[in-house]
Formats: sequence, C-alpha cells, structure tokens
Amino acid sequence: MQRVSKTLALIGALSCAGLAQAADIKLGVAEALTGGAAQYGVAIRNGFQLAAEEINAKGGINGNKIQLIIEDEQAKKEEGINVFKKLIFQDKVLMVFGPTLSNSMFAAAPVANAAKTVVFGTSNTANGITDIGPYVFRNSVMESDVLPVTVATATKHYKLKQVAVIYGNDDAFTKSGYDVFKKVLEDQKLPVTNTETYVKGDVDFKAQLTKIKGGNPDAIICSCLAEEAANIMLQARGLGIKAPFIGGNGFNSPKLFEISKLAGEGTFVGSPWANTNPAPVNKAFVAAYDKKFGGEPNQFAAQAYDALHIVAAALKDVKLSGDLNADRETLKNTLPKATLNGVTGAFKFRPAVTKTGKPGGWDADQKPFIYLVKGGKFTLYETK
Amino acid sequence: MEWFNDFWSTYSTLVFTVGVHALLALSIWLTLSCGLLSLANAAFMGVGAYVAALLTVNLEWSFPAVLLAGAVTPALVALLIGAPVLRLSGVYLAMATLAFGEVVRITILNLEITGGPEGLNGIPLITEGWHIVLILAVTIYSLARLRRSKIGRAFEAIKEDEIAARLMGINVDRYKLLAFTLGAFIAGLAGALNAHFTFFISPREYGFENAVDILTMAVLGGTTTLIGPMLGGTILTLLPELLRSLHDFRSLVNGAVLILVVLFLPKGIWEPRRIRAFFGRNKGDQA
Repeated sequence: MQRVSKTLALIGALSCAGLAQAADIKLGVAEALTGGAAQYGVAIRNGFQLAAEEINAKGGINGNKIQLIIEDEQAKKEEGINVFKKLIFQDKVLMVFGPTLSNSMFAAAPVANAAKTVVFGTSNTANGITDIGPYVFRNSVMESDVLPVTVATATKHYKLKQVAVIYGNDDAFTKSGYDVFKKVLEDQKLPVTNTETYVKGDVDFKAQLTKIKGGNPDAIICSCLAEEAANIMLQARGLGIKAPFIGGNGFNSPKLFEISKLAGEGTFVGSPWANTNPAPVNKAFVAAYDKKFGGEPNQFAAQAYDALHIVAAALKDVKLSGDLNADRETLKNTLPKATLNGVTGAFKFRPAVTKTGKPGGWDADQKPFIYLVKGGKFTLYETK
Repeated sequence: MEWFNDFWSTYSTLVFTVGVHALLALSIWLTLSCGLLSLANAAFMGVGAYVAALLTVNLEWSFPAVLLAGAVTPALVALLIGAPVLRLSGVYLAMATLAFGEVVRITILNLEITGGPEGLNGIPLITEGWHIVLILAVTIYSLARLRRSKIGRAFEAIKEDEIAARLMGINVDRYKLLAFTLGAFIAGLAGALNAHFTFFISPREYGFENAVDILTMAVLGGTTTLIGPMLGGTILTLLPELLRSLHDFRSLVNGAVLILVVLFLPKGIWEPRRIRAFFGRNKGDQA
C-alpha cells in the first residue's frame, strides 16, 4: 500500500514537473504564404522563425519555449478571419501576429479584439488600423511618420522649390501613400507643378512624364510599387528629365535600383529598416538570416524579427498563470510598456490617435532611416 | 454543447460564407437557367455590399431596410443596363457583362464616399446565422416555385431554343430581363449579408476573379437542379479549409480536385439523371 502511494506521489510529482516544463508559449502567426502577397508573407514568416529559434536557443522566455503556430491567410479577408478564429479559439494561442495586408487586418483584427486577444501587425501601414480597439498593436511605421522626414531631408539636400507627383490611384497602398505625400507637401509648403496618376499594370508612362517635364519640377515624388517605379524612372530619363526621385515605401526594394541602374541615381527613400544599418544587432540578424534562408532579408523580415523580440521583452517581466484569458489580458496590459533596441532601431509603442476619440490600440513610435541611392545601391544618408 | 461552442466560435464565419456563396451560386443559376451567360453577378454583389454598408455606417438604417436597399439597388442597375446588354448572347453577353463589372469596380475605386482603393472599414457585425438561413430558405423556396411556374417554363424554353420560344409567343426579351434582374437582386442580398460579417469591403473583392469564382460554383455543382449550385458553392468554400493540413500543397490539391471534377463530371457533381443511373445499375447488379 505504501509503495502504491509512493508511486502515486512520484507520478504526481513527475506530471507536475512535466507540466511546468512543457509550458510552451503558443503564438499564432497568420501571414499570406500563398497568393498575391506571398512575397511579403514569406519574408515575415522567416523573420518570425529566425527570432523564435534564437530566443529558444537561449533558453526561451523565463524557461518557457516559444512555439509558433503558422497559418496561411492567402491575403483574403474571409481567410484572414477564419485563420484568426482557428488560432484564437482552437489552437488557443496567447496572441496573434499578422495578417500581411492592411485589408485583411481590417477584417481580422475585430475578431481578435472581440475575443480579447492581442493582435500584432508587422506590415500594416494603413490609417485607422489601431482604431479598431485596445488589443490592436503594430510595429510597422506608418507612411505618415516616414514621408515627412524623407521629404524634408530631400528638400534640404536638393534645395527643392517645386515638385511633381505621380501615383497609382487604384491601389490601396500607393493611394494612401499619395494622400500622405499631399498632406506633407502642404505642411512643408512645397508647391506641386503636376499631379499625375496611372493604374496598376500600366507599362507606358510617357504621357504623364511629358506633362511632368513641362512643369519643370526640381524633383518627382512617386508613390508607386516597385514594378511600376522601375519603368517610370527609366522612361523619365529617356525623356530627358534630370530631376531626382523621392519615393515612398514601395521604393524600398534593392532590386528596383538594380533594374533601373543609373536612372534611380540620387533617389531619396525613407524606410523603417536599413540593411546597411551598422548596429551590431542588425549585422548579426542579416548574417543569421542569410545563413538560414540563403538571401538578404528585407524590411518585412526585419520588422517581424523585431516584433517577436518586443513580445519576448514584454513576456519576460510577467508570470503567466496558465489561465488563458487572464494571460491574454496580462499581455495586453504589459505590451505597451515594452521597448526594444532592435534591428529596426530604437522602438517603443505610442497610443493611437483614433478618429472617434475612444481609446484605440498602439502604434509604432520609431524614427525612419533615410537612404540616398548612389551607384545603384542604397546608402544611409547622414545629414551634415 | 461545449464542443459545439468551440466549433461555432472557430467556424461561424466559414458557415456564414457557405450560405453567402450558396446564394451567389443560385443567383447565377437563375441567369443560366434562362440561357444567359452573365458575369456581372460579382459586380451586383459589390453594389449591394457597398450600398448596404454605407447605409449602416453613415445613416444607421435598421438591418432589414439595409438588406432590402442592398438587394433593390443592384436590381435597378440590372434593369437599366439589361435592356441594351441582353440583346447580346453567348460569349458576347459574357464580355459585355464583364465590362460592366469593370465599370462598377472602377467607379467604386474613384468615388470618395466608398473609400476608394483603401476600401470601407469599420462595418459593424450585424449578420447572424438565422438571417442567412432564413434568406437562403426563402430564396430556395421561391426559386423552386419559380421553376415550376409559367415563368420557369418560359426560362427553360428560352434556354433550349430562343427562336422556338419566340415563335410560341414567349416575350423573350422581357423574360431575359426578369432573370437578369432577379439574379442581381439575390447577388446584392448576398453582398449585403457578407459585408456585415467581414467588417471590411474593398473594390478588389468584386472583380473579374470573383465573377469567375461564382460561375465556377454553379458549373462545378451542376446547373440542372437547385441543389447543384449550392453544393458547388459549399464545396468551393469548404475544400480549402479541409485541405488546410496540407500546408504548402493546399492550392495545388484544391486545383487538382476541381480539374478532376470538370474532366470526369462535365455536367457538374449533382446531376440527377447520372445519379439515378448509377444507383439503378447497382440495383441491377444485386438482382
């Protein structure tokens, strides 16, 4: 009898130990791994995987390993909602990262917010996302934080007096970028000679560029995706336009300047991340990414990598109770205080300013890097 | 009960989507049953979704009124464009309705009130399960009655042979317009319902790709009965979810299943004559 009770006690102790050890922290990752936005989604997933491996290799968070549950949301809104619900209600994750596009975020974030679960976007720059509710976080720097700095730096460098603007008016990303540019130009009192538009898939921009040439601007502001931007720059040079370009986030692609060669010379681009950022943490990240995935990381991978480290920093200071609802609430309360000196530079959250005045989520409070393109390569621009 | 709550909180949106897709498939079945290959249903869905969402967000109308407006507006649009467009037939009609879809998409893109390419967000969650069940049930009942009525017979006659139907004294143009308008009504209703459980709508959801998706649902399921399109819509919605465990191969298997169905069951999955023949033969074997 005694032996039985001893055995039982032993089993009890073992199972308790087992429980304490196996307290994996489950984090959901919903990104577009197939479909139109896969190029971003895959980079983001890689960033998360790299960060999780590193954190787990160092012993996890207070001894608990991070377990990523990765799902494909195909950049479709219904799919985004389905994946969020699966992660939150079935896999019972502590919080969800993603989705990739702002569109899917608008559809999926209300689900997480209603379920009182933190949703953390790493690539969603649209206005109004953090209006959805107090459980919505993002570390993606909005265009309205990047572009004023880009334009001001370029104005100072080139002593700009007037600029022309070209943008794609049928794409959420380029159109919202244009709206920000427009406001920035008004604020900084920079006159606009022409504003020209195109639609996605256009390959000939000579008509618009000829008009722009007539206005004789000192620089051309371009809220375009990389696909169109290369053609726009090459055709502008073909027409004899010498003015430099100023780009939004869509220009943030090293490939673009490989294709456009010298046409892109002197372009100013603002970005939340610079691969040439000399900080040791960034150098280590670029090297580790190259080793694991065989290629240079991009901005999206860097932001995902930082996002997981931000959450890890927040979780380090709390004790998880094992009660899922309580833990989700704890994370929501601790996360705003998390800070990080990561690969995208110094990071902290700031409360979102919502349209309704109600308390919203948390936006990124971070300074962008400003690049100047020299010899077909991004070089970090230092203001002298 | 516990497992049901778990199931429902995870999959309610999926179930809603099945219902909405069934409605969409029925809307195109209606035009197909009159021999019209129209690809405008995605655009009508978009018109319905935008009208309904704007009324809810800006004017805070009650939900039944919103749904009605979301269904009637595309029906009115269908009446307007139907008269000239329905003079075309076959692929020419498909092209014209496709062009109409693009017109709608570009209009929504360039309007201020629709939010342009950035879409419309912050639509409250109003649609509930029973809304969809009720509307779907009423639609199925009405369509089933319609099939057996004079109108349904007229549709059938036009589909089989337009000239013969005209000779029999059927007002072909008017019946075609009726099918087109009713299809738009149902598609608009589906759009309005969809907008109120997905929180967000954007113009890209109502483009060419979705027009083809809706057609695929009807064709995959089979267009000889009412069950066919609904079955097709259900399968096309559930299949990607069921294949989720395949991860990277999901889209591949999904596509392969569709190709196999089209290759081996060209008249759709639900084809009463074939099913009857199949069971009949089995019985024969046993005897």
